[in-house]
Amino acid sequence: MFGKLSISLFVLIIFYHDLSDAQKKKETLLSEKVTQMMEWASKRSVIRMNGDKFRRFVKAPPRNYSVLIMFTALQPQRQCGVCRQADEEFQVLANSWRYSSAFTNKVFFASVDFDEGSDVFQMLNMNSAPTFLHFPSKGKPRKSDTYELQVRGFAAEQLARWVADRTDVQIRIIRPPNYAGPLLLGFLLAAIGGLAYLRRHNLEFLFNKSVWAFSALCFVLIMTSGQMWNHIRGPPYAHKNPSTGQVSYIHGSSQAQFVAETHIVLLFNAAVTMGMVLLCEAATSDMDIGKRKIMCVAGIGLVMLFFSWLLSIFRAKYHGYPYSFLMS
Amino acid sequence: MKQPGWQSLLSFSILFLACLAGFSSRLFAVIRFESIIHEFDPWFNYRSTHHLTTNGFYEFLNWFDERAWYPLGRIVGGTVYPGLMVTAGLIHYVLNLLHITVHIRDVCVFLAPVFSGLTAISTFLLTRELWNQGAGLLAACFIAIVPGYISRSVAGSFDNEGIAIFALQFTYYLWVKSVKTGSVFWTIGCCLSYFYMVSAWGGYVFIINLIPLHVFVLLLMQRYSRRVYIAYSTFYIVGLVLSMQIPFVGFQPIRTSEHMAAAGVFALLQAYAFLQYLKDRLTRQEFQTLFFLGVSLAAGMVFLTVIYLTYTGLYVRLLTCYAKIHIPIIASVSEHQPTTWVSFFFDLHILVCTFPAGLWFCIKNINDERVFVALYAISAVYFAGVMVRLMLTLTPVVCMLSAVAFSSVFEHYMGDDTKREKPPEKAEEGLGPNIKSIVTMLMLMLLMMFAVHCTWVTSNAYSSPSVVLASYNHDGTRNILDDFREAYYWLRQNTDEHARVMSWWDYGYQIAGMANRTTLVDNNTWNNSHIALVGKAMSSNESAAYQIMRSLDVDYVLIIFGGVIGYSGDDINKFLWMVRIAEGEHPKDIRESDYFTPQGEFRVDKAGSPTLLNCLMYKMSYYRFGEMQVRRGALTPPGFDRTRNAEIGNKDIKFKHLEEAFTSEHWLVRIYKVKKLDNREPLDHKLRSVVPKQKYTSKKVPLMLGGEFALQVWRDSFRFS
Repeated sequence: MFGKLSISLFVLIIFYHDLSDAQKKKETLLSEKVTQMMEWASKRSVIRMNGDKFRRFVKAPPRNYSVLIMFTALQPQRQCGVCRQADEEFQVLANSWRYSSAFTNKVFFASVDFDEGSDVFQMLNMNSAPTFLHFPSKGKPRKSDTYELQVRGFAAEQLARWVADRTDVQIRIIRPPNYAGPLLLGFLLAAIGGLAYLRRHNLEFLFNKSVWAFSALCFVLIMTSGQMWNHIRGPPYAHKNPSTGQVSYIHGSSQAQFVAETHIVLLFNAAVTMGMVLLCEAATSDMDIGKRKIMCVAGIGLVMLFFSWLLSIFRAKYHGYPYSFLMS
Repeated sequence: MKQPGWQSLLSFSILFLACLAGFSSRLFAVIRFESIIHEFDPWFNYRSTHHLTTNGFYEFLNWFDERAWYPLGRIVGGTVYPGLMVTAGLIHYVLNLLHITVHIRDVCVFLAPVFSGLTAISTFLLTRELWNQGAGLLAACFIAIVPGYISRSVAGSFDNEGIAIFALQFTYYLWVKSVKTGSVFWTIGCCLSYFYMVSAWGGYVFIINLIPLHVFVLLLMQRYSRRVYIAYSTFYIVGLVLSMQIPFVGFQPIRTSEHMAAAGVFALLQAYAFLQYLKDRLTRQEFQTLFFLGVSLAAGMVFLTVIYLTYTGLYVRLLTCYAKIHIPIIASVSEHQPTTWVSFFFDLHILVCTFPAGLWFCIKNINDERVFVALYAISAVYFAGVMVRLMLTLTPVVCMLSAVAFSSVFEHYMGDDTKREKPPEKAEEGLGPNIKSIVTMLMLMLLMMFAVHCTWVTSNAYSSPSVVLASYNHDGTRNILDDFREAYYWLRQNTDEHARVMSWWDYGYQIAGMANRTTLVDNNTWNNSHIALVGKAMSSNESAAYQIMRSLDVDYVLIIFGGVIGYSGDDINKFLWMVRIAEGEHPKDIRESDYFTPQGEFRVDKAGSPTLLNCLMYKMSYYRFGEMQVRRGALTPPGFDRTRNAEIGNKDIKFKHLEEAFTSEHWLVRIYKVKKLDNREPLDHKLRSVVPKQKYTSKKVPLMLGGEFALQVWRDSFRFS
């Protein structure tokens, strides 16, 4: 009886010891992993991973942190323009988290490049980049742990909402301020100021009407050729048909436009304006009559040619428009 | 022209013809359809004008409209620019005094074309002040027919812009006149015209910023004169006091940031004039010390004001103005989009290419009033680039400057060399009659193309009432689709006078105007959360929507459905905006992503998302549509949506809380009645014997059950105890 008891006690002790040993091992492993992750995260807010690291820190079980991974292909030979933009947004998101006061070891951001960890791509059966996945701290990834890139886009704000949805961590997006604009403006102002200082004894150029008229004209032409629309909507410069390789500079619909198209229109408008000015100059200037005749013919030629060209472009875009002139 | 009499007769007849052309080219809609109010906002204006003429001016100012924004209501008198209604009402009153009995509707329909004639005249006057008589006449002809202005002023488009452009041009004319003469008479005229503008349109902010800008630039160019001082000081004071008389404007001119520039320039002008005065009185040395003292004091003052303003949060308000752009309800309005070059060309044609030339001539030959027109052009072209609807303020200045360009060309090329008396040394330097006549011919051809373009655009793009639709068959015969009015009259005749109709906000004004029923939301989109609630009801499933509709006391729901005739402006196409606006206020219940397929598409067929296929808007649009074979050959299956070119995904639609009340001839408008709550369902228990076997007295069981059953049990127990 006593022996039996002692044996069972012994077994119990051994078993218990074994159990606690495993537990302890697991805990040490976990804390090792966490400190390793923290160390990496302190170096760069998006941890770069290859296949080994991914298996060890994301796939292997003892884990109490969530990992958000961007699968991407940033190498230049992959020619993935979207990846680059998505990467910037992801960096903004990760930095906002890394340098916020609420930063903890609950969430880590990482990225896997196709050229460094193609085995991961194969393992997850993934064939498109960029893809955002969330690996929750507990359980398997579900359907909603894959970010719907097509639907929601890759703006950092949208990503932050998705993160908040999946992990209950609220991240306030702080974009690094863009210094390029103010810097350029300051530089321009300094240049103008310097110029004015250098020529301080002769400020006549400020009263030069042609300069003012020219800059007013530039502004007006920029506006009437729809550059504001480009600025707000950000269309592509031109469209290249992937199957035939043909490049079209004119958008087919009247609701949209390419950047190239607006430049063409700007030039055409400027040409018509110049034609009108030339016509008037030809009649009023006091040059010799031969030059004036050439000016006059050039003026009316510019007006007619470029206006009818503009009309034909307009006609190509506005379907059902019946009129044309010189060119169809 | 030797005799001035001939010249003025010619000018007069050209102006008259321009007005006539402007008036008649705006009548396409009246001739094709009938004398009818167009679109959406005009219906509200018409309704208010009707209220004004039947109840009088004071009643109109105090009007509280309980039929809009149920259950909130709307204070109409204090939230409209009354100029339009008062103008129409006044014309109606005068005509009736003269025993010309016209209906107020006809006054409203023809108001905008009449005012376009007045706009042509005031544009003539302004351009004559800026350049010369010939340019003025050309400008009048341009503005009479240019599509950019016609788009807002066809007959039936009874809207603020129709009269506001006249007020704008006339105010500018009087302003230029008062800067030129420096007389208080013209300035007071300018103030009165400004007052009319303030009462007519919110775009008066453009004037109150452009005129100070003009004065400021004149100061910078060292073109300060007593004329400018008198004109601006009078204009600012009198204009300020007058503009504050409009209830809707109230104290805004001294509170909001849009008006601060005017006040700042006023102060600056006074300081400048004072310095000029001191300069005459003091020696140079004294003046310099005083000047530096004054400048440092002023700098300190500005610094302190900036700090004060920062603390009181004005800057925050200034910054939040920008945030408004990103609110979905503002983004959903198609007028608030930036402008493509195609719209510039479409609305202005040849004028958009030639007006920079006019600007060039104006700046090369600068004087006080040409500074004004240059600033006008530059600011207006910026605003027109940002927002499509502000093309309207650009159009007048484009007409004026193009007229300047064309008239300077014609001036040099049209004249007859042989008849004109010239100095002898220039005689052999003429360009020759051949070149001259070729240039003149080609220019006239351009102008003819402009006229043809304007007529085509007016007739094809801007003359649809959008209340009545027309479709053309292959042989050119026309079908009139009068579904909107059919449905609105059905509502008017067949529903209770106080019935409340829920619809998307686009149709609020039309329901109020034509059906005379109470609406929940309308085109005056002042309350975003109320609109979001309606959007939520439309995008929820039926039982959730029923709760919302019960809480808003909705009796009828009206939707627009274009799937039968292929009308693209229907509610399913607008549906994503409803979802977005609803999501903005109720992000827990509505999510935009639920309405897309996993591939991110918005589809109504079988592949569409189940949330979409079961939401109220979908069910109401396609109820019984699955049984319908749209006539378009036998190839299309039943339930084929012609607008979205898809066979609908949910053909088995049944309603529990709604019933179909009315569907118009072409299914364009569908009206559903919201059922009242059902009578409580009786419990299906057996009839009990009269003598109970035992009394049922437990008090515990009912507490654990739901309220309704508990009540039943309590009743039973009461009966038997």
